Amino acid sequence: MTYMDIRALVLVNRTIEELADLTPFSALPTALLEVAGKTSLQRTLERLHQFGIPPASVVSDCDFLVPAPTNGDGANYLMTARESFWRAAESAFNELAQDGAELVLVVTLGGYAEIDLEKLVQFHLDQQARVSQVYTEAEPLPVFCISASRRNDAASLFRSQLVKCRSECPMFMHTGYFNALANARDLRQFAIDILTLKTQTKPAGTEVRPGVWIERGAVIEKGARVLAPAFIGGFAKIRTHAVVTRCSSVEHHAQIDCGTVSENSTLLPYCVIGAGLDLAHSVVGAGVVANLRRDVTVEIADPKLVGYFPAAAGHRLLNAALELTSYLPKQVWQGLFGKSEPQQPDLQTALHQTSPSLGSAAGYQTPACDSNAAEKFPSNLAVVRRYGNQ
Amino acid sequence: METNSRPVVVKRMPERLNVRTAREFLREVQPLLTKDRPQIVFDLSQVKQLDASGVEMLLRCMSEVHKRDGDIKLATLSAQAAVVLELTRTERLFEIYETSTDAVRSFSGFLPNAMRQQLLHQKHPPAPLAA
Repeated sequence: MTYMDIRALVLVNRTIEELADLTPFSALPTALLEVAGKTSLQRTLERLHQFGIPPASVVSDCDFLVPAPTNGDGANYLMTARESFWRAAESAFNELAQDGAELVLVVTLGGYAEIDLEKLVQFHLDQQARVSQVYTEAEPLPVFCISASRRNDAASLFRSQLVKCRSECPMFMHTGYFNALANARDLRQFAIDILTLKTQTKPAGTEVRPGVWIERGAVIEKGARVLAPAFIGGFAKIRTHAVVTRCSSVEHHAQIDCGTVSENSTLLPYCVIGAGLDLAHSVVGAGVVANLRRDVTVEIADPKLVGYFPAAAGHRLLNAALELTSYLPKQVWQGLFGKSEPQQPDLQTALHQTSPSLGSAAGYQTPACDSNAAEKFPSNLAVVRRYGNQ
Repeated sequence: METNSRPVVVKRMPERLNVRTAREFLREVQPLLTKDRPQIVFDLSQVKQLDASGVEMLLRCMSEVHKRDGDIKLATLSAQAAVVLELTRTERLFEIYETSTDAVRSFSGFLPNAMRQQLLHQKHPPAPLAA
């Protein structure tokens, strides 16, 4: 019995990424944007591994590739300048061929497709083709299966930036899952599909209850509710009386403040959503909210509503230390001068109250959410609305 | 414009509503708010940046006007304003109209607010949600 040596070459190209309408949300390209805890690059590498393909070579022109979660996947990362990207891809292909590969799968990231690689390889062999391309009903995908011995065909393909094939290029019809990840709606749909298990790939972390996936380090404060299906990323914080529901995905280090309802929404990493807000059918990025129902993307500069945590670990550590040192004096101050028992407003009053972020005009004394505001926020507010199976 | 013999004031809101501009705007509209039974329409078509202090100012105006048995209505919401009002759960507190003219006309309307909203919904049923 002989085995065929099949290798994979994954391309993360900025030019392709920039076609996506996701740049306002994050400085990261789409392939490195985490959805339900993993990037599409990680999911693609996992999938290649599942099909028994040895660790892939990843060629990228993004300086900030190799995020922490991708470490240890065994992939060989090759960083290159933007202008020499396609040349680097060509030489990576040649190296794989010299290494003894018989077939090379070239996967360009941007969208996410769950291609049946076995069928693709079989198709390529049956057609006796030099290069085969994958396509969906709507469009051809930048995914190719190339015979490693056909270096000239590969070179011509790379030099044309995967647009033109030198020889006849049979098309392999892909009928499985595909998401173009071209805009906020696609990103949201991707999270929904992962959480409702429409994709073969699963959310990161552990399924603590049916449909509720939580990564290590996530903090869910007492009184907060997470209703399935939902995903809470590592070191994300769901503060008291917040509600996360309807396929909401809170990525790592994101934070939902007290009393805020997140319904069918995605919070990208390091984003903070203020207290007592109603986030629905939205994608939240760095100071940007895309409302999918209204089909608009707006910038919100107010950190009381939408904020952005500094990504640097040092900054976060400093913030945490400051918070810790100010905790005790705050408690002493509250003990001496604070009201002994906060009065719970009745349901009718609660219904007419708005976000504590709005300060005194909304009927709250504190301008932003802190532990005081959380106590004042009525716990019975959520009862009047229906979420999921409740 | 006058309806029911009482004037309706239409006020266009500034492009940016942050702490400073909201305070300025509040100072500007203060004489209108302190009239007897004021009827005011805020036109938000120009609003490109609205933050928490802007929404707070709107609520303050509303509470002032309600004290004097008047009303404030919003019209021509920009995308930015609509998203922020929805996010802060304040859109349900205001009557919102597509145009300033509709908002002004609504002051003379006989129908109670609840019925008017119902009619509006029948005219433009809400789009079904994806998920």
